Amino acid sequence: MRSGLLCWMAAAAVFGQDFSQRGFLETRTVLYPQEARGDSARAAVESLLRWEASYKLTQGWKLFGSLDARTDSHRQFDREAHVDWKDRGLQRPALSLRRLSAQYHRGGFTAEFGKQFIRWGKADILNPTDRFAPRDYLSVVDTDVLAVPAARLSYERGGETVEAVWTPRFTPSRTPLIGQRWTVLPEGAEQFTLRDRGARFPGRSQFGARWSHVGRRHEHSVVFFDGFHNLPLFDFRFQQPTIEFQRFYPRLRLYGADAAVPLPWFTVKGEAAWFTSATRQADEYVLYVMQLERTSGEWVFVGGYAGEVVTQRRNPLGFAPDRGFTRAFLGRAAYTIDPRRSLAFEAAVRENGEGAWLKAEYSHQLGQHWRATASFTLIRGEAGDFLGQYRRNSHGLLGVRYSF
Amino acid sequence: MSRGYLVLFCCAVAAAQDARQIVAESLKRTRSQSQRYEGVLQVIDARGGTTEKRWRYDRIGAAGESKTILRFTAPAEVKDVAVLVVNHPDRPSEQWMWTPAIQRERRIAVQDRSTRFFGTGFSFEDLEERDVEHYDYQLVGEETFEGALCWKIRSQPKKSRSSQYTHTFTWMRKENYTLVQVEAYAGEKIARKLNWREWERIQGIWTARRLEVFDARRNTRTIMKLEKLDYNETMKDEDFTLQALRRGS
Repeated sequence: MRSGLLCWMAAAAVFGQDFSQRGFLETRTVLYPQEARGDSARAAVESLLRWEASYKLTQGWKLFGSLDARTDSHRQFDREAHVDWKDRGLQRPALSLRRLSAQYHRGGFTAEFGKQFIRWGKADILNPTDRFAPRDYLSVVDTDVLAVPAARLSYERGGETVEAVWTPRFTPSRTPLIGQRWTVLPEGAEQFTLRDRGARFPGRSQFGARWSHVGRRHEHSVVFFDGFHNLPLFDFRFQQPTIEFQRFYPRLRLYGADAAVPLPWFTVKGEAAWFTSATRQADEYVLYVMQLERTSGEWVFVGGYAGEVVTQRRNPLGFAPDRGFTRAFLGRAAYTIDPRRSLAFEAAVRENGEGAWLKAEYSHQLGQHWRATASFTLIRGEAGDFLGQYRRNSHGLLGVRYSF
Repeated sequence: MSRGYLVLFCCAVAAAQDARQIVAESLKRTRSQSQRYEGVLQVIDARGGTTEKRWRYDRIGAAGESKTILRFTAPAEVKDVAVLVVNHPDRPSEQWMWTPAIQRERRIAVQDRSTRFFGTGFSFEDLEERDVEHYDYQLVGEETFEGALCWKIRSQPKKSRSSQYTHTFTWMRKENYTLVQVEAYAGEKIARKLNWREWERIQGIWTARRLEVFDARRNTRTIMKLEKLDYNETMKDEDFTLQALRRGS
């Protein structure tokens, strides 16, 4: 796999204008004013080198590839120097094949095979219908979408697009590491020894379909998904003084829709999905987002509400940040100061006031290649709230990126 | 781009027959079935700082009913960001922006189009073409501009059209019907001033190689140079769709 990829890169680089590449090297320092239970570290440094390339083989065929190389001071990233393509490890891989796919198009027909990014949904902060986009939740409020191995076929005619996706191999979302600050264990847990028994990954493939309509006055899509939730539930086994746990991924059949309607003053966007499951431990519920969007001068405003309606409660033990950001008011405001500098503010505030996440970010472009970013994330709330449990994880971030 | 502005700022109606004829002739002289160029943009901010961007522009179809895809090629942090504009003769264009970093496209609503386009002197509205019928027109007179005798034409969007500009003044050279300057106003204040320079006859079409945009509200200047420009290249309609936007160049 590795040698094949390198050969392709080398060969492709020879062919001038049909070859395109870009990437960046980024170093980020995260500073936490408070210690967290089980994690006394107050600073973490991480670096990421990302390289993305594409090569147009013929008029119809195109290849895409992307590689990540990472390291950090906080041992959230693996140190083994092998190229990971599965994205199933607990840690972020040191070297990973982020994308490798071949795309073919002819007329309105497009097919893509291989590890690729598939993004569904129209909302900005939470996307219930985005089912082929597992995430890396090592730092719960700062996530990265993972690619999935898939075959994707789509046909576009006029304003109608039909898309079908089949993934032969399941890719889970990556959860926060035990023993680090983004896993908050309950009071008294320290008297037990936690033993991770790994994960039971589904062996079955997944399927999804989407029909999208782009009309004169609105856009909408309808989504069906049959597969597994990419966020885990946990099986616990108590054998004092040890608690053993194992991740597993419940069956998921999802029906969803999204829409965007530009009105004279705002664009209204909505997205909703009904999550049903044949797994007896899993809840069934509806997640929905309604948001208004408006650009005014150099400002972009997005504000809305994310809600949840539980249709079948089974009280699972799991990790569910998607649900954790619901029953909340969400907002984003971005201001472009000038072509080089920008400010952004983001917020999620639970409707009961028990949890809040607020982020302010300043970004400054330096020359043609460099960008410096400074941000502060404030998290407040009650221990029993999904957001509030991370109240000791407010942090500042300084990042420098060199793009090439 | 100059062609887009020509349509945007200079479309006339029968009420001002002379002006309409001038514009009709000008449009006729710049008519082509497709256009491709590579644009180099220098944005000079109010403090004198300069940033450079590059894009590739493809257009298929004639003015008013054309489709364009504009894809940034540099700097690296905006590379492959792309905008699809589908122009309609009877209504505002539809616009979508593709952001590869998040693998998503976003529709640009009509009310959001006064927003500056990626830190340049252009707004999203400036990327669209508009039909002759969308404007009322008046031939103000004749003036000499940079040594050449020009028609000065005032155009105003009809009430049915939404635009950030209340009216514009256009200077068009009498000798060859080329657009040399536009002043676009928001109320009493000038919003943008555009100058076309370095004229060259390419495949029989007078084409400005250089466009300067002065954004009066932000006190910034954008200089766009057109390179590798070609008209009437063979292009396919299927390369001007949302799928094509996502696929990349």
